[in-house]
Amino acid sequence: METSLRGKYAIAGIGETEYSRGSGRTTRAMGAMAIRRAMDDAGLNSQDVDGMLSYHGGDSTPSTSIMYDLGLRPNFYMDCSGGGSSTEALIGLAMGAIEAGMCDTVAIFRSMNGYSSIRIGGTGARAASGISGLDLMKRPYGLISAVQNFAFNFTKHMSEYGVKSEDLAHIKVAHSNHASNNPKALMKQRVTVQDVMDSRWIIRPVAHLLDCCLETDNATCVIVTSAERAKDLRQKPVYVLGVQGRGTKPGGDFHVQHGNLGRVAGHYVGPRIFELAGVKHEDIDVTGCYDAFTYTVLLQFEAYGWCKPGEGKDYVTSGVINLGGKRPNNTSGGHLCEAYTHGMNMVIENVRQLRGTVDDYCPNAAAGEHNYDYSEGGCRQVKDAETSMNMGWGTPAVGSALIMRR
Amino acid sequence: MAVYEYRGQRLDIPDNDSEYRGYFEAAGEHRLVVKKCRACGLLRGEPGPGCPWCPSLEWDWQEVSGKGTIYSYQIVAHTVIPAFRDMAPFAIVLVELDEQAGQPTADDGLRITANLVDGDLKPEKEENVAIGNRVEVIFDDEPDGISIPQFKLSGEPPKGETWQHSV
Repeated sequence: METSLRGKYAIAGIGETEYSRGSGRTTRAMGAMAIRRAMDDAGLNSQDVDGMLSYHGGDSTPSTSIMYDLGLRPNFYMDCSGGGSSTEALIGLAMGAIEAGMCDTVAIFRSMNGYSSIRIGGTGARAASGISGLDLMKRPYGLISAVQNFAFNFTKHMSEYGVKSEDLAHIKVAHSNHASNNPKALMKQRVTVQDVMDSRWIIRPVAHLLDCCLETDNATCVIVTSAERAKDLRQKPVYVLGVQGRGTKPGGDFHVQHGNLGRVAGHYVGPRIFELAGVKHEDIDVTGCYDAFTYTVLLQFEAYGWCKPGEGKDYVTSGVINLGGKRPNNTSGGHLCEAYTHGMNMVIENVRQLRGTVDDYCPNAAAGEHNYDYSEGGCRQVKDAETSMNMGWGTPAVGSALIMRR
Repeated sequence: MAVYEYRGQRLDIPDNDSEYRGYFEAAGEHRLVVKKCRACGLLRGEPGPGCPWCPSLEWDWQEVSGKGTIYSYQIVAHTVIPAFRDMAPFAIVLVELDEQAGQPTADDGLRITANLVDGDLKPEKEENVAIGNRVEVIFDDEPDGISIPQFKLSGEPPKGETWQHSV
């Protein structure tokens, strides 16, 4: 496998808007703000950013509008259709565009009024349209939302391995503890296993309300450039050791009709990302595992080989994924507690972790001073975090991975 | 273009829809059909234009018995579709049809999605929903000519172990 790009590219800037449920602004205004903040973070001006990439589900504003708002004149841009697992894939595409000589520095953004306008959960504008094409085999039966689209996979997994709702609840508890130390998080309140179990059922047996992520209005941005260029910029570069996405499992959209239901795309992405990055599981200090629902986290931990198939319940209840544990997961609170961003916030969080400047409640966090007291309202910086891994989820059949190092 | 109303939702099936139109036309005659590859003979649950297992794009509709086993399921306790709210909780089942279980690999099968209903087309009781339970097709006829394939318990004894969640 070609590995000559290992460490040759870096994340130089990150930015986000406020996470809210009612932004009162357009996706254009939010997109411009997230990119501007990432440019300011990196110390880049309008002439320096000559590439743009975005992803959307018909719910964003094209790059060609936002480039005006920022005074950019890209030599390269693409607006791609895509949801979860696009973040990592687009970082790879940005590297490819730069490697091909099409541009030097790429701003990747995602902008969505995911609560107040077009909701992933299927309500609002998306539910009002007529049904045609592949939805004809789903929506007449009441199968419309993301939690439902993936549910057959996890019910089957539960039947084979005996995972309980309580096991999944531990994931929510861990992420909520992390979010309580994140001023940006939408849901900062710590919850217990019992809180999750007592929240109303959405889809039995896979998801209570608190097993589901938070539909959010937000925009986010990461800026990719060469390692060489990143060294001259404002922030300590975070290097891309390897990126792989969007990888698939057999069957594509119809994966439940063919193939092992409990085995998700990470099974295929995993071996490639570790080889590309040249690291082993044991080298990873912090993970960002896409938590659209608690069960997507468990399925991906198994698929990527953090544990054997069927042992995900032990991995997520063992304390490994908690701050202070061996390999904390989604230290910002992730989609379950910080905000639903289609994967961007988990990459942004890992960049902050590797810089050592996580924006927690430590007084001098921006200067990299942390006390590593993970109690509520305290620190969420992982001590000496050197290497991170992101595992993006599109569907059970679609996934991406990214390994970064400081 | 054929436009139908089903449970408060509008179904649009254009004349050039080569994937789904034949499926619903056959259902209107109370026949459950899937696509059969003209080259390798394998059946597919998703009625797409090509065979996922061989290079062929040639196919024929093939009637199947409509008998199968619940392979996985979900109980919808909360729905975002207004017309479904009175139905909840209701089961959506992934049915593995008898014609091609465990083929062409052990992980594969001929699987389609529907609701599990009783003989009156009302949602089946949750305690009767279990992986491994035997089911058979039942057609939900609508006044405007369309019919939607659904599944009900067949009453046959399960072929192996069954599994259901406990709440």
